[in-house]
Amino acid sequence: MRTRRLLVGLVGVLVVLTACSSSNDGGSSSGPPSGTTDLTVFAAASLTGAFTQIAKDFEAADPGTKVTYDFGSSGDLAPQIESEGTADVFASASESYMDDVQQKVGVSGRSDFAQNQLVIITPPDNPGGIQSMRDLTNPGVQVVLAAPGVPVGDYARQALKAAGIEDQVLANVVSNEDDDASLVAKITADEADAAIVYVSDVTSVVAPQVNAVPVPAAVNVVATYPIAVVTGTAHPDLAQAYVDYVTGPSGQATLKEYGFLPPPAT
Amino acid sequence: MATRPSPARTPVVVAILATIGAAFVALPLVALLIRAPWSELSNELAASGAWTAFRLSIEVSLLSAGLSLLLGAPIGWVLARARIPARSLLRAVVIMPLVLPPVVGGVALLSSLGRSGVLGRWLDSLGIQLTFTTAGAVLATTFVSIPLVILAVEAGLRSLDPRYEQAAAAMGASTGYALRRVTLPMIRPQLIAGLALAWARALGEFGATITFAGNLAGRTQTLPLAVYQARQTDPGAAVLTSLLLVALSLIVLVAMRDRIFAR
Repeated sequence: MRTRRLLVGLVGVLVVLTACSSSNDGGSSSGPPSGTTDLTVFAAASLTGAFTQIAKDFEAADPGTKVTYDFGSSGDLAPQIESEGTADVFASASESYMDDVQQKVGVSGRSDFAQNQLVIITPPDNPGGIQSMRDLTNPGVQVVLAAPGVPVGDYARQALKAAGIEDQVLANVVSNEDDDASLVAKITADEADAAIVYVSDVTSVVAPQVNAVPVPAAVNVVATYPIAVVTGTAHPDLAQAYVDYVTGPSGQATLKEYGFLPPPAT
Repeated sequence: MATRPSPARTPVVVAILATIGAAFVALPLVALLIRAPWSELSNELAASGAWTAFRLSIEVSLLSAGLSLLLGAPIGWVLARARIPARSLLRAVVIMPLVLPPVVGGVALLSSLGRSGVLGRWLDSLGIQLTFTTAGAVLATTFVSIPLVILAVEAGLRSLDPRYEQAAAAMGASTGYALRRVTLPMIRPQLIAGLALAWARALGEFGATITFAGNLAGRTQTLPLAVYQARQTDPGAAVLTSLLLVALSLIVLVAMRDRIFAR
């Protein structure tokens, strides 16, 4: 009889564990502490470093404000904004996901605030012997890319296609990762030979742990990052102030520090 | 053998809480059924590579369940029967994957069997690589499902009267013969339950697999990983692929019902 009880317990444990596959929680939504205003910003994972710094500066300049981020792949964030409506500001790594939110939810004050480019990274000892983008086609090279639908993954495929080596390189892909942070982790852990990430991913912390190989300018993709206030926000003025801060001189200086290029001249 | 408790009036509080609880679990599953784009069923499943993931999931989960049984049952035997020091500690260690977040299991596997891991470094020099391979996916799922076999077998052996084995030994049966002909047949229900639970757990494994084995269609992208990826590019396919997993899990759990609860 003990056996049966134990097995019943096991079923319980099994069900619980199966249910909690990893996933980032939607952030936000807990009521703001009295006296402060909580601003929820959904931002592309590649902005993690720069935006964390920007939040500190923004909060210091406006003490009543607390900025909460939900960082993730833009392709994950857009549908979350559409279905949950908890975001005050959206900063996307791709125009298309911003277009999506603009159509389905509506945005205001939209503007491009940064650009990014692609770079190939390898472990420091470069086990795959990658000297140029073309070397990614060498047999046996283990390449990791972001999955299709993740902006950096789509941009990488565009660049490979422009170089005419998409099929050969895709044949060397051993894993389609969820975002650029996972790609960097695979390379710093020496689990793969090469990854295509954003220039901004090679931060001062990451730089010593990887070897960077440029993507030729002729095929490199320029990713443009739009930011906007999400329609329906409870704090439209504060959200607009945050957007203005990011597009303003201090925000731009921080983004530059983190490896981003300035937005396209209009 | 157990006598069924006579039907009692269900206390109102119990009935209310049970209804809320059941709805809490059932509602999301029903919502999947409602939200599924049924009209595009065949297109969606074909285009999203769900069948490739389905076949791989069956392969990986069965191999993993088999490996869990092969290695887990002996551990269960040792925990139940062998005279060993620090039994509780050993049990805690081998059961650990049950309570660890699977992603931690994946990181631990990378540190041990990854290309530059403690053992992986050495395997790599022999030309053996486990990360990004189907074998790696099997190992990752086995890591999380093996405790279920261990616990089931240990529980089975503990509830078994040792006099059966003593009698076999007294009649001249060798240890191996007694194990094969007496012990194993008597704990067959627990072996099957452990195997089925391990299989079900392997089928749903996500965190350890994506962390250790990566995500590549046809090689390491099992159904849960396919759902995770489709959610970005094709939410409809994500819902349909999820339903495929729900259906499979339902079949396993219903089929196991008699093994676990009845008799």
